[in-house]
Amino acid sequence: MSQGGHLLLVDDEPQILRSLRPALTAAGYVVTTAETGAAALSYLAGEPCDIVILDLGLPDMDGKDVIVRIREWSETPIVVLSARDLELEKIAALDLGADDFVNKPFAVGELLARIRATLRGRDLRLAGRASFRSAELEVNFATRRAFVQGDEIRLTPREYDLVRTLARHPGRVVTHKQIIASVWGPEATVDAQFVRVLVAQLRQKLEENPSAPRVLLTEPGVGYRLASDEDA
Amino acid sequence: MRDYALTALRRHRRLTSYGLAVLVVLAANLVALLLEQWLGYSRVSMIFLAAVLICAVRLGSGPAYLASALGFISYNFYLVEPRFTFGIESEDIVILLVFMSVAMLTGGLAGRVRDEASRSQNRARTTAVLFNAGRDFAALGEESPMAERLTMGLAEAARGDAIVLMGGQVHKHSSLEPTDELLTALAACEVAGAHDLAADGWRIRALWAEGRRLGAAAWRPAASEGDEPDQTRLIHVLLDMGTTAIARARLSRAWAEIEAVERTESLRNALLSSISHDLRTPLAAILAAATSLRTFGGVFEPDVQEDLLDTITEEAERLNAFVGNLLSMTRLEADALAPQTSVFDVAEGLDRILRRYERRQGGRRLELRLRDSQLSACGDPILFEQALANVLDNALRFSPETDLIEISASRMGNHVLVEVRDEGAGVPEAELPRIFEKFYRSATANQNLQGAGLGLSIVKGLMEAMGGAVAARGNGSQPGLTLSLRLPMDAP
Repeated sequence: MSQGGHLLLVDDEPQILRSLRPALTAAGYVVTTAETGAAALSYLAGEPCDIVILDLGLPDMDGKDVIVRIREWSETPIVVLSARDLELEKIAALDLGADDFVNKPFAVGELLARIRATLRGRDLRLAGRASFRSAELEVNFATRRAFVQGDEIRLTPREYDLVRTLARHPGRVVTHKQIIASVWGPEATVDAQFVRVLVAQLRQKLEENPSAPRVLLTEPGVGYRLASDEDA
Repeated sequence: MRDYALTALRRHRRLTSYGLAVLVVLAANLVALLLEQWLGYSRVSMIFLAAVLICAVRLGSGPAYLASALGFISYNFYLVEPRFTFGIESEDIVILLVFMSVAMLTGGLAGRVRDEASRSQNRARTTAVLFNAGRDFAALGEESPMAERLTMGLAEAARGDAIVLMGGQVHKHSSLEPTDELLTALAACEVAGAHDLAADGWRIRALWAEGRRLGAAAWRPAASEGDEPDQTRLIHVLLDMGTTAIARARLSRAWAEIEAVERTESLRNALLSSISHDLRTPLAAILAAATSLRTFGGVFEPDVQEDLLDTITEEAERLNAFVGNLLSMTRLEADALAPQTSVFDVAEGLDRILRRYERRQGGRRLELRLRDSQLSACGDPILFEQALANVLDNALRFSPETDLIEISASRMGNHVLVEVRDEGAGVPEAELPRIFEKFYRSATANQNLQGAGLGLSIVKGLMEAMGGAVAARGNGSQPGLTLSLRLPMDAP
């Protein structure tokens, strides 16, 4: 396994740390663990990390506050661990700057896939790539054109903005609020219903079978993500 | 009828003061006749002046005018030469004018002072009535005593009878027996909201606050001493004040009810999220460990594999214990816990539990001290182990990694006593009795430390169901907490 990078795992439950560390190590990450938000913050201040895996229920502070504190000065990708039924918490974490989330309990493969997608998304953004390309979809940011399996599709400006927003963070979930801010503008007061309508419109053009989407995926209650090749 | 009597009374009082004025002038005549020998007639006019002055100050301006006229006449008639004639000379006109102006000035002045005094007396009474009522309303806070107090205040303000209909209850002043007619009028007034319906001397008013019907009040003034508009105003202000206070009391009670519902709601949410956390954490560890083994099984060193398998086993056990707790709690709540009571060896049970906890203790030391041999207790061994496990979980959860947790068992009278002593943060003395309450978590405990505050309440429920007991105490000058479980030695 190649060196995957330096990973900070923040969780207060020792059994979670114990069960995750071997797999993360085996996947090539250098794993550091922290059991409190304060420990995580002070570690990050001294040592740059490539990615942070953060449980939202910490003993000393709210996980969301940890995200805010990290985002004050660092763009380190953050993947949040949270229970499936706490949608609002996940949305809040994402809106505060977390990059993605994994529902607890999870299979290790799922966590590793999220970590890889998040790291790749960061690399793409850092590289300032002018296009997004997956097996199904290609988006050229410079020319504002999109192709499905090689054939160009005609998109309205809103549809293009939506696909661009998702393609800028391939594989990563984007919340309704973030989509609205990006497509309608940060001041817009648009109902999530509009996002659903726009997504349905876009799926007609992107998907082979719009009622069983493979490219533009729904994250129930949270938002949408564009399938990266790993999801396929 | 009553009004007529009052007017008569007032007229009578006015007549009396004129009569008094006549008497004062007669007295002045007597004194003047006596003193005239020595003083000469022109100086005794001073005596009549004094009489006018007295009438003006004491009896008001009307009697003073009468006194000055009478005084002038008698002075002129009896004392001025030629006596017993009624000759007016220019000098006499001056005297009459002086008498008249003294009567006018002094009488007006004194009358104003008197009026002012009686007004300020009324004001003081009004203020006192309102102030006392306001203070009592604020202190009472409950609707019924407030209505009672309003009735009392109303009777005081009206100086008569009072009755208040509030929230379907009739509050009346002292021994008053309201007629059916009055009660019907009150009820009708509450609904219709009419003001000042008079019947048999009673005045009625509906009590409404912010468009809500609260009740109705009726009062019957016994005697009217001050001027009536003032009294009526006082009564209305008092009624408004009482109505507002009662409306506020109702509102705050409604708020309290809403708050109680919200508290229950938030308690339920806290419980749900805590249960969800306690169920999901072991599951997450099991799933992560199992999928790790499946994905990387070949890559891991044998000891890593072993550790992951241990994690799976322990977390499954933890999950099992938690589900057991949930079941017990449900049964305790439903009163459906049926202990399978038998005589069992406590030492053996302790040994089994400690072996189970060996892997869980981390850096903490668990020490078992058996102070007596032959410790057999009467109870349900499975429930006892569950209770003890909860106590140990609690001790492990709240004590730092390096501390000692001592478990001791001894005989005490005809009971077996098992004590678990930790060196953690402990619980303040005042909170000790509360730690067995459901959902109770010490305020000093870390708020984010997970746990629903159910463990110890289950311990209490289990121990009591087995005829035993649980108690908590501090460790004196040492930090930490000691929990003692007690079971009877023989079947009761």
